[in-house]
Amino acid sequence: MTLKPDYDVIVAGAGHNGLTTAAYLARAGLQVLVVEKNDWIGGAAVSRELHPGWTYSNCSYVCSLLRREIVRDLDLPKYGLQVIPYEGGASFTRDGNYFAYYSDHDALRREMARYSPRDADAYQRYSQAIMRQCRFIRPFLLRDAPDPASLRPRDLGEMAYLVKKAHGLGARELGETLRFWTMSIGDFLNEHFENDLIKAHLAGSGIIGTGLGVYSPGTAYVLLHHYMGDIDGGIGAWGFARGGMGAISAALAASFETHGGTIHTGAGVAEILTQNGRVTGVALEDGKVFNAPVVASNMDIKRTILRHVDRDVLPEDYVRAVDRFKIRGSSAKLNIALDSLPQFPAAPDHASFLRGDMHTSESLPELERAYDDWKIGRWSEKPYIDMLIPSQIDPTMAPPGSHMMTVFVQYAPYDLAVGGTRSGENWDEAQRKAMAETVVNQIEIACPDIRNHILHMEVRSPAELEREVGLTEGNIFQGELTFDQLFFNRPIPGYSDYSTPLKGLYICGSSAHPGGGVMGAPGANAARNILRRETRAGRMKGYAA
Amino acid sequence: MSQFDTIVIGAGVNGLVAGAVLARRGKSVCILEQGDTVGGMAGLTSSDGPALAHLIYNLNSRVRRDIGLGGKDWPFKSKALPTVSLSEDGKHVVVDGAAVRFADGSDHPQATACSDLIRRLTRYGDLLRQLAEAPPPGGDSPVSRAGLKQLWWLGRFGLGVKRLGKSEMRAFLQVLLSNAYDFILDELPDGRLSGILAADAVRGAATGPRSPGTVFSLIYRMGHGGDVTLPQGGTAAVMETLSNAAKQAGCTLKTGAPVVRILTDNDHVTGIETASGDRVYAKQVLSSVAPLPTARLAGLHHFDIEATRRIRNIRARGTTAKVNLRLSRAPVIPGLPGNLLGARLLFAPSADYVEQAFNPAKYGDMSSAPVIEAVLPAPQMDRPWLSTIVQYAPSDLSGGWTDAAREELLQTTLATLARISPTLPELVEEAQVITPDLIEQATGAPGGHWHHAEMSLDQLLTIRPANLLGRYAIGPKGLFLCGAATHPGGDIMGLSGRNAALMALEKTG
Repeated sequence: MTLKPDYDVIVAGAGHNGLTTAAYLARAGLQVLVVEKNDWIGGAAVSRELHPGWTYSNCSYVCSLLRREIVRDLDLPKYGLQVIPYEGGASFTRDGNYFAYYSDHDALRREMARYSPRDADAYQRYSQAIMRQCRFIRPFLLRDAPDPASLRPRDLGEMAYLVKKAHGLGARELGETLRFWTMSIGDFLNEHFENDLIKAHLAGSGIIGTGLGVYSPGTAYVLLHHYMGDIDGGIGAWGFARGGMGAISAALAASFETHGGTIHTGAGVAEILTQNGRVTGVALEDGKVFNAPVVASNMDIKRTILRHVDRDVLPEDYVRAVDRFKIRGSSAKLNIALDSLPQFPAAPDHASFLRGDMHTSESLPELERAYDDWKIGRWSEKPYIDMLIPSQIDPTMAPPGSHMMTVFVQYAPYDLAVGGTRSGENWDEAQRKAMAETVVNQIEIACPDIRNHILHMEVRSPAELEREVGLTEGNIFQGELTFDQLFFNRPIPGYSDYSTPLKGLYICGSSAHPGGGVMGAPGANAARNILRRETRAGRMKGYAA
Repeated sequence: MSQFDTIVIGAGVNGLVAGAVLARRGKSVCILEQGDTVGGMAGLTSSDGPALAHLIYNLNSRVRRDIGLGGKDWPFKSKALPTVSLSEDGKHVVVDGAAVRFADGSDHPQATACSDLIRRLTRYGDLLRQLAEAPPPGGDSPVSRAGLKQLWWLGRFGLGVKRLGKSEMRAFLQVLLSNAYDFILDELPDGRLSGILAADAVRGAATGPRSPGTVFSLIYRMGHGGDVTLPQGGTAAVMETLSNAAKQAGCTLKTGAPVVRILTDNDHVTGIETASGDRVYAKQVLSSVAPLPTARLAGLHHFDIEATRRIRNIRARGTTAKVNLRLSRAPVIPGLPGNLLGARLLFAPSADYVEQAFNPAKYGDMSSAPVIEAVLPAPQMDRPWLSTIVQYAPSDLSGGWTDAAREELLQTTLATLARISPTLPELVEEAQVITPDLIEQATGAPGGHWHHAEMSLDQLLTIRPANLLGRYAIGPKGLFLCGAATHPGGDIMGLSGRNAALMALEKTG
């Protein structure tokens, strides 16, 4: 499609949230342009062939959180999205044993009983508690977070909804909810389980992507953040997008383009243009200028405000608050092309859990020590790893007989400490190699012959994630998921409605409520707010023009 | 056989306050204390050493009023102490109220930012204090009298928050649940300032400044104006005042009378039995011991399985030890003028230092470089005591608190103090090392924890000490908790005892 000088809305960044916003707005009849700095779309939801024949989901790697309302509204299956659930997972130990997690409840019970009959009983209570919290939070994901300091009818209405929902829980559940939200995942697990390995296996979801440890209050919520999704109605289930995570972005883009949207790749936003305190369009790095009364930024709030907007048009308080927004890189990634399936000597042949998420951490203290390393600017000596071999389920990911392995690594700092300085610049080839070595050692706990199978390995530190995808400090959630940056505090108190003090500029990425993960909710919510606020003001012409 | 309206178990701050409040409302009250002296954990001493709690910063004015010592009736003055952040290079920083300067009198570049922050925290603290000054809401129908009272109370708090103004209210709601480390470092890059605030945020707690929720603790500490005071005559004098207030109100006070059983009949308390087999009868029993020991006194069969589980899950890991050092003379701290020797001396050179000190405690080890709060209650005295609070020394030390472990803690403390006063270790004539296990032994507080239950967000307000146990009454009818494990928590504040007494009165009319 040819480019025009004027649009109703320009979306900066073709990540999954930007595309979601764009697709909703295009469906509403607006003329929408998405601009992307890379030559490919998808942001951190991409499939890339970095080794001939192998497809890497080289950033996000599994799917669960994508809201089904969005899948339905935007007809994503029609545009090729297919999510295949995977079964269970496992944690391997150094002494050659494993704990397997099965989605089959009875199988899981028997497996837990192998370590502790008490824990098998406790799991009943544990999973009920988590499920209750999931049910409580899910309706809030596609709603706006109310500003408690505002008396606008919309905020009061949302507040009333919150109070009603909380009241509906009853005194007992409300108390449990307050506790759950403020607890550490370590304490929560300690209340239920006695076996170290079982606790370590379950704790992983509480720290993925955060700058917190398993004993930090608030990590129980982070766990919830990873459980509140669903696949085909199975709450908490995870799966692979067929063809890699890029399939999600591709489906969103196809849905968007079918409704008349345009995507311009290869040139990022240089500046968000303003006039008289209002957005007028964007100037791209390649010199092109596009006009629009509304710009929705899929970039994180720090990048959007501090790099692409003239500070003079924004209130000082707001800029300071953005500057203090916490967005810390804490995870790295290895993407590995394997010549064949490696051996997992501890596991029975063809065990179903080998097709799920595999880990090698054995206790909560081990996980917490991994966090202590990160605090002083080092990657963990014994990192938590979340590794999967999706090509066992999705044959499109690697040539026949070969496999692709994705290894998520927690923790790795963005500002690596080397010789007394802490900086993202310190991530050179030697450091990356040294970190990869640490991680491969960790993988060897589960599969000792892994080194013999590696054909190609991509090592991504938080610095690469920032450089390539644009996520500040390589934080996968576009901002820490802590209380002070969630719900009405996300991204900035008073601006949880996706707006900014600059009229016409909206935040539609994961920096906004309800936060990160390949969820699409911030994008959908931003689109709703843009439609409500801007079409009413009559600024956007749509197809009529 | 003796009969009272109410029995209070434990003559610590909260037990004495609860007894006095009830007696002043016309109840006949008997307070039973296991030890030979009153004062509980705060007054805990070893021979003639200083008491466990060496400073007071939040004895509540409503408590004083309700025990008959409000306003001018409070018998003695307390001296507000400046805080000194000790620095190895001798460039110490003094925080006096909200004023900040270097110990040599020169201006500190971040003085204004620090004063603003302290004033902000004090303002927020004032709001949280209102929440502390009443039993937490819950349980009553909104149309009942009690329910309306709670609504009024909540509404008043809401109004207070609203009155902060839009942007301050937003800031309040944001920082309330955030972590002290980021919150402080955003404003104060100087380690000497960030360190002492971070240390205050985690004092007595099993947490580090990077943990979310620590700003709440910091604000809570500032709830009574933020002044740290040294009472004339020490903590013992405060305890004596409280016990006199209880006696004056008509309480019968028995020391050396450990309660071994809470008697019940038909799921209603009827009294208690002491170790010597004496029975004292009453329809209400208020226990200032922690929830689990209290439940055990009454018998766990009075609690359903869920309540038992909740009580067992209350976290109380003491992390703080007291090290009292008898010095041959007042120490010399290079860079510190003599008139500041009596200040609250803090060694916490940066927020990172505090966090690093916390790391080993997570794994059951003591800090190799601990955070120390030191007070010389009487520097001019011959052979003065240096009273120090050393963090972190976890109650669940791997290997246990053996004599060797205590010696290690003492040496670590001395080595740390030597960093700011190299000659100090030579002055030590005698040392008392009171570790969490000894505090537990002496007081029965689980884990020797200052607050009987960790003051973390998931154990505060309506869910303190545990969900559905936040209204003081537990187990059999007539049994109440009135200790630091209940809302709003410990320190020499007295509100737990007072609130519990008010709740007990409400139940009997």
